[in-house]
Formats: sequence, structure tokens, C-alpha cells
Amino acid sequence: MAIEKTYYSLEADKHLVCHKCGVHLVKGNAVFEYLDNAFPVELPVCPVCGFVYVPEELAMGRVLSVEKVLEDK
Amino acid sequence: MTDHFKERSTRNYHQKQLFTKEELEQREKLCKYEDPPFCSAACPLKLDVKTMLKEVSEGNFEKARSCLEHISSFPEILSYGCDAPCTKKCRRNELDATVNIPGIERAIMHYSMAPKGKGLLKFRKRQKIGIFGTELFTLVLAAELANKKYPLTFYTEANDVEDLLNRCIQLPQDISDRQIRIIRSLDMKICFKQKIDDAFFEEERKQYDIVCAAETFKKEKTDPVTLCDSRNAVFPADEKRYGKVLQAFFDARRAAVSVERLAQNLDPHNTRPAEGETESHLFTNLNYIPEEPAIPENGIYSKEECIKEASRCIQCECVECFRGCAYLRAFKRYPRILTREIYNNTGIIMGDHMMNKAMNSCTLCGQCTVTCPNGYDMAEICRLARENMVDTQKMSLAVHEFALLDMLFSNQEGFLCRKQPGYDTCRYVYFPGCQANGIAPLTVYKTYQDLMNRVEGGVALLLGCCSVIAKWAGRKELYEEQIAFLKEQMQSLGNPVMIAGCPTCKTSLQENFTVKGLWEVLREIGLPEEYKKINEEVIVHDACGARSDPDTQEEIRAIAREIGCQLKETKWSKDLTGCCGYGGLVSYVNKEVADLMAEDCIKEDKEHTYLTYCMACRDRLYRQGVKAVHYTELLYDQKADDMPSLSQKRKNRLMLKQKLMKEVWKEESMEETIPFTYECSEEVRNKMEERMILESDLIQTLLNYRENHAAVYNEADDTLTATHRIGNVSFWIRFREKENHYTILSAYSHRMTVRIR
Repeated sequence: MAIEKTYYSLEADKHLVCHKCGVHLVKGNAVFEYLDNAFPVELPVCPVCGFVYVPEELAMGRVLSVEKVLEDK
Repeated sequence: MTDHFKERSTRNYHQKQLFTKEELEQREKLCKYEDPPFCSAACPLKLDVKTMLKEVSEGNFEKARSCLEHISSFPEILSYGCDAPCTKKCRRNELDATVNIPGIERAIMHYSMAPKGKGLLKFRKRQKIGIFGTELFTLVLAAELANKKYPLTFYTEANDVEDLLNRCIQLPQDISDRQIRIIRSLDMKICFKQKIDDAFFEEERKQYDIVCAAETFKKEKTDPVTLCDSRNAVFPADEKRYGKVLQAFFDARRAAVSVERLAQNLDPHNTRPAEGETESHLFTNLNYIPEEPAIPENGIYSKEECIKEASRCIQCECVECFRGCAYLRAFKRYPRILTREIYNNTGIIMGDHMMNKAMNSCTLCGQCTVTCPNGYDMAEICRLARENMVDTQKMSLAVHEFALLDMLFSNQEGFLCRKQPGYDTCRYVYFPGCQANGIAPLTVYKTYQDLMNRVEGGVALLLGCCSVIAKWAGRKELYEEQIAFLKEQMQSLGNPVMIAGCPTCKTSLQENFTVKGLWEVLREIGLPEEYKKINEEVIVHDACGARSDPDTQEEIRAIAREIGCQLKETKWSKDLTGCCGYGGLVSYVNKEVADLMAEDCIKEDKEHTYLTYCMACRDRLYRQGVKAVHYTELLYDQKADDMPSLSQKRKNRLMLKQKLMKEVWKEESMEETIPFTYECSEEVRNKMEERMILESDLIQTLLNYRENHAAVYNEADDTLTATHRIGNVSFWIRFREKENHYTILSAYSHRMTVRIR
């Protein structure tokens, strides 16, 4: 099986806990989607409920710049 | 109904031509920025006088010389003998006196060195050329063709090079010496001491592919363009338009083109460049140019004199639109090129649309159409381009979504349509406009109270948006839906005459309704009694919505005078006014340009109070740091909010609606209460404003969190971060929770969706 490309990888901070499930977040496979484009990424996720955490630096940095590029496509 | 807020796909392959080729050309040709300056247009040799003088004024004599070298092999002869038609067309003639272009040329040749090296490597041509006879035309032509690497034989009666030059032109000794050196360096065979009569000419010409000859050998009329006779020999022109020297150079230039075409076995008429003097339609505004007397030339100019004289050149260019428009200045493109780039942008099917930001950064205010001597309408082009991009699903929803949702908020939650109590039909309906409702709700309230009391026939009320926002965003369908909605509401009121509080609303609504300006009505019924007497000099900042509406501009001035203001007019008064940056939704798309626009409105004077008649202008100019006041604030002695946030504007609209319903129509409205309290620091509020996150988004996110408890807890700083997707945006709020109270630490958002895989 082909190894799927990951565009971005972020280690889960050991202090992050899923408020609902009470378990620590782990690095998990997630996908960003926008305007019919998908980007596989690795983000902190809750292993129980699947909550994906997008930190502020990521949202206002990389995510925002990719959004802007796609918006002009 | 179409879902206007469904995100598009980047995988759409639609395309729709913005303009036909003819329409594009028609629009583009109004912009004369690229027309040559008058001096160059008058020069048959197309000397780039403007660049040459610019270089001299900066002391770059070598670079200036290259402009001269570019047009001729003998620039020095030209500088001494040219009759300078350029000086007759110099615009400085209208101010004081022409720039002494030939004098500067002589100084350039005097103070600079001849270029070293032979330039680009050129391949030797095959066609043999014979040049017969001694005159300046044949000499200049020989030099031109020799430099183009034609194998060339020059037949002359002269004994040597010096004699050859003397027979062509009489020059001072030092100049003559330099020209002799140039002739000697030319790669051509010169046959001296030839007795060239007709028989010799007829015999010798047989061995050449192309023949050029002096006037004396001309036996018939030559073609006025190609200078060729019926046997395709090239001669000086029959018609002499310039002095001897310039005419010889001009003829040689044209003859060289004919020789090139003949050498390629082409008709000499084929694809010739523009030749001779042309007419320029460049507009040079002399109002900004101070008088400066010419420097007299005694002998050769000294370097300093020459620089000073060259500095007198006004560097003709048409920048009328740039003077007023911060948008054009920011994108550093004059309208023709901007139009072409925007046109190309709309034609891109796949790939990056580099000009999206440019087309969305025009305030559509129409100032360029007034400042441009030819009435170039950049606003219309940008608006049509936006519509085109929306039609082909290439326009990102992200750029205008916030503003469009704000419009829908005004026409839904914030909307109110009521007849004046006690009236079955009303003669008028007051339409304050969404910006006035959001920025100055209490002023609007007082205005409506006054209109109800004093206007005969009843005044209904319509709180909403005129829908120009959808038009600005290029969303035609949404605009039409909103207009249909307003028409329905107007019908329910019995189609009264609208009293628009805002000049932009007035212009926009006039397309579908009968509209009067509030200012007109107030002038008819007289000003309210409680107005605040102002004894101050103020500047009326005209609204771009009132451009080409002198009645409105005058009514406002009359009101201002009546309340005691003395008026100061600026360069940008009335029709020339610039937009405050709100128009065209630029403040949402390109904050930098919007701020530059606002700054432009006030740059001439930051001391006086700016009296506005559009609430958006009042808000934006105030934010720019000057005293700005809307005339209704003075008339009703009721201040607008200073710098309300995006959330506050929405709250104001709701508050105004509720206050009116309660106090005028005695209806209790349901006020939504939230089951918790929250606090935000100034810093967080600023961040939210910058990121266009509303307090309602924050509340929705917290409500969602309270319901499903989905959040991330950070043990390190004891904070929670919750998320909620509203429409096309995911909002994230970081906070601390204490029972029913939330301390907000940060707020951010993104449009991408995220899920696990």
C-alpha cells in the first residue's frame, strides 16, 4: 500500500486533554478540506471521541495562507 | 432559492469573456498614459527626449548620450544641425519657454564619452548594397546600413574622408574630427574620386542587389513612404518637411527600413514601424508646474547649467487618476494596464488569479471617471469583473462573505418595516441606511421622531440595507433577491416616496424606487429647532455616493451654513471627492488600501472638523484621527458612536429596532438572553475585530460547548479551547470557565474543515 503523504505534522502537547473524554490527545491522522481540495495532516486528536485540535498558530498561520492561495485558484 | 453561501470548488472549468476584443480596446484606449510626450511625438526620429532629460537632470550624461546614440550613428551632427521640432511642442512654452533640447544635446555630446565596444554581435548579411553620390542622406544611410552588417560600397566624388564630410555638412573643426573618426571606423568600402555620372551609375548599379543614391540620380517621383522608385532604388524623399539635416536623417531612417525589407525580398511597404511625427493625446496638467525661466546658452552649457536646464523638463505624464486614487497608487498600475490585467484574470480557467485582490480593492467610487480627462471608468470595469468571476464560480466567497452576511443581518434580524402609527397610508418612508443604524442608532431615532412630527402625510420606517453591498460584491442574483424583498415591503406600505438618509442608498435605490434625500426634506420642512449652533469653519467631506449630484452637495452646504458653519472647500470637494474606503467593500477585502483612501480624504487638512453626510464616511474619517461629524448629529444634538466595533454595529441595529418597536409602536420584542456571562479584555476584542469574529460567534461557540462539552483542556495553563462551525467558518474560543462565567483569552477561526481520517 502506498504511503499517504502528510502535509503537516504536529506533536500532541502532553498537557492537552480532551475535556469530554478525560484522555490525553495523541498525534493522529486528520484531513483539512477546502474548496474540493484535501490535505492529509497529523494533528492532536482525542483517541476516544476523535476531536481534532487546531492550535491558534496553525489556524492563523499555515491554514490561513493555504486558504488564501486556494481562494485565488 | 439559490444558496448564495455554498463554497465553490476550485475544480470548476467555466469561463465567460468579460469584454469583446472591441469593447476592451474601446475602454483601454481612453487611457492615454502610454501616449508619448509631445516632444518625442514631434520628433521624426523618435528620440526619447523625456528619458534623456531625466538622465541629464540626474547628472547621468553617459546614459543620456545612449538615447542619442540609439537614434543615429552621428548624434553630434544632429545636435548641431537639427531644427528641433520638439521644442515647438514642448508644453513649457505655455508656461515660460521651451526646454533648450538641442542645447542640452550639444552639452551631452560634449561631456560624455562615445560608447566603447561594438554592441551585440551581428551576422554579416549577404545582399550587396551600392550607395552612390555624396550628400548627408547617403552618408547617414551608409552608416546605418554598415552598422547592420550589409556588405556596402559607397561611391563618392570626394578625395578622402575629410572631403566627404565637408561635402555633406560644414562643422566646427573638433566636431568634424570626431565625425571623421566615426566614418573611418565604419565597416564599408568607400570608392573615392569617382566621376559618378548617369552612365556610371547605370553601369555600376548592376552589380548590387540593392541600390541607394543621392538626389541627383533621381529620375522619377519616389514613393512617399518607402522612398523607392519604380526600380526599387532608394532615394531621399520628394517632400521636404524639415530642415536639411533633420530631413536627411529622417530620410535615411526610412530608406534603411526599405533596404531591410528589400533585402528580405519583401515589399518595402511591409510591416513598417510608425514613422515620422505623431499626434500625442497625453494630458499634462500644468496647474501643478511652477514657472522657471530658461537658462541662456552661451557657447556650450556648463554641466551645472545643463543639469538645471534639463531639470526644467516637466516630464510630461498623465497622472490625473493617480493624484486622487490611493487604490491605483497602491497597485502601481495606470487604468489601461490594470484593465488588461483584470481582463486576463477573468479569463484564467485554471491557475492563480493574481488580480483578484486588485479588482476587489477598488471602492467603485467613480472618482477616476471625473479626474480622467477622457472619463476612464475603472469602477465599472472592476464591478463587471467581480460579476464575471461570480458567474464563473471563480470568485472566492471568503472575500465578501462577512459583508454579505452583514447585509442579510440588516435585512433580517435588524429589519423593521412599519407605517407611522395612526396612518393607513404614508406619503413617505424613512430609510436611514444600515450604516446609520449601526453607527448612530440614537441619531436615527431622533431623526425619525422629528420626521413623524413635522412631515405631512405620515412617514413610515424601513430599517434595512439598500442591498448595494450585494451589487458591490458582484452578486447579481442576491442583489435582485434583496431588491425584490424591498419591493415587497414597499408594496405593503403602499409604495410611498423613500427618504434616504445616505447618499449611496439614494443613488442605489433610485434604480427601483422614488427617492428623496433626507437633506432635501429637511430643507423643505426647515431644520429641527434643537439643532446645535456651530460657529466654526468646517470642511464638507462629500460622499462618493453624491458624485455628479450637485443638488445634494448644495443642500448639505446650505444646511451647514444655516447652522452657523463657515465652509472651507478643498481640492477634492464636490465631484472630485475620494471614497472614505468603505465603498466597494474594500474595508473588508484590503484594509491597507481602505486606510490609504481614508487618509487621502483628510491629508490636506487635519485640523478642521469634517462635516459628512454619509455615516460610513463619518465613521472612517473619525477612525483616521480627525474630528468628523455627520450633519444629523448636529441637527438633533445626538452623537453617533465613536468607532463602534463590527459587533457593536449589529447590536446597535438591534437596539434601535427594539427601541422603536417599544416606544413608537408599543410592541414588546423578545430579547434574547444568554444563560451565562463572559468578559473579554481590550486586547481580545481588538483581535476579534481584526479577525472579523463577532461576539455572536463567540456566544454561539460557548453555547455549543455548554451543550456537548467538546473542548481541549490544557493542563499547563488551565484553559479550555472549544470550537463551533457556523456557516463556512470554524470558530475557536480559548477561555477559562468559572461556573457560569467565562473569561475569554483568545478567539480565532479558519474556513477549512477538519476531520479525522
